[in-house]
Amino acid sequence: MTNSMSKAVEVLKSFNPFVEEIDDREIKISLSNDKVISALDVLKSIGFSHLSLITCVDWIDDNQFELVYILFNWEDGGKILVSTRIDRSNPKFITVKELWPVARFYEREIHEFFGIEFEGNDDMRPLFLELWDEKPPMRKDFDPSKYSKEKFPDRKYEKDVIKEAKIFRGEING
Amino acid sequence: MKERTMWEQIADSLRSRSLWMLHYCTGCGAMELPPTMTARFDMERFGVAPMATPRQADIMLITGYLNTKTLRRVIYTYEQMADPKYVIGFGSCTINGGIYFDSYSTINRLDYYIPVDVYIAGCMPRPEAILEAFNYLMEKIRKGEADGWKRYKENYEWYKQNQIRSLGEVYVHDEFHE
Ligand code: SF4
Repeated sequence: MTNSMSKAVEVLKSFNPFVEEIDDREIKISLSNDKVISALDVLKSIGFSHLSLITCVDWIDDNQFELVYILFNWEDGGKILVSTRIDRSNPKFITVKELWPVARFYEREIHEFFGIEFEGNDDMRPLFLELWDEKPPMRKDFDPSKYSKEKFPDRKYEKDVIKEAKIFRGEING
Repeated sequence: MKERTMWEQIADSLRSRSLWMLHYCTGCGAMELPPTMTARFDMERFGVAPMATPRQADIMLITGYLNTKTLRRVIYTYEQMADPKYVIGFGSCTINGGIYFDSYSTINRLDYYIPVDVYIAGCMPRPEAILEAFNYLMEKIRKGEADGWKRYKENYEWYKQNQIRSLGEVYVHDEFHE
């Protein structure tokens, strides 16, 4: 752990975190979801000022979404993953766009691909997909190959045994 | 195929000697184009040169996968090109979807939406294969077989209907330009 990371763990003690060490420059801190915003605020103030990414994991068996905030410290290269789990059937969380304005776009992306609402961030226009007409595609219960079959016709192949045999014998060039 | 007049034959044979290529590089195969264009493989010795805008290009080279978003732009670009125009589908993604065959956003078959004259198989094809494809395309142009642009006009309804089936709407709505 780098200095800044040990300091962060020290400061976050009162938040009751579950800390996992991934490697010497990366730790994961899991928190209950009412503490996340204040924890992020604290981390920002002690040097983890760069929000690299907000991302999401669909734990369909637990009926939960996991939100992950990846923070980076420019002083010694420390990286902290702040993670929390929210209910999957009513996916809602609070925006962090007041802390990092760039979060607007990450949240739009997560809304588009997982269908999570972010309270306080009203701009939820689609960002990447155009004219999407199904459930959010990164959810585990969405079936991409079925969608692809319906929407994007495939090429039909017919097996030509004689031609294959000729290629195999080197008579024609496959 | 219709018989070509003598003038058309002459025109075709001249056309095949000077081709300008518009490369649509969103797929990973775009990586193979810099060596093809420049000193290492040097495609100019075959008379093919890169061009930056669709209106002055003859060949459209599609390097790899297209998703619904980029397919819209490709159709725009293709329709802007002046006749005669040729399309080369580069890589297995354009042929049958390649490794993205079951993706929710990438198309599986390019010739369903715009006519393709030459396909290059491989994931990704090497510069030698690209040069081979150019030579094959020139051969086809000389013989008058590279008639994708005519097929597009004749079967316009069919192509449009396929485009609409997969894209919903071909018109591009773009939050940054509207
Ligand atoms: S064919 Fe292979 S190299 Fe080309 S775009 Fe598809 S995955 Fe990438």
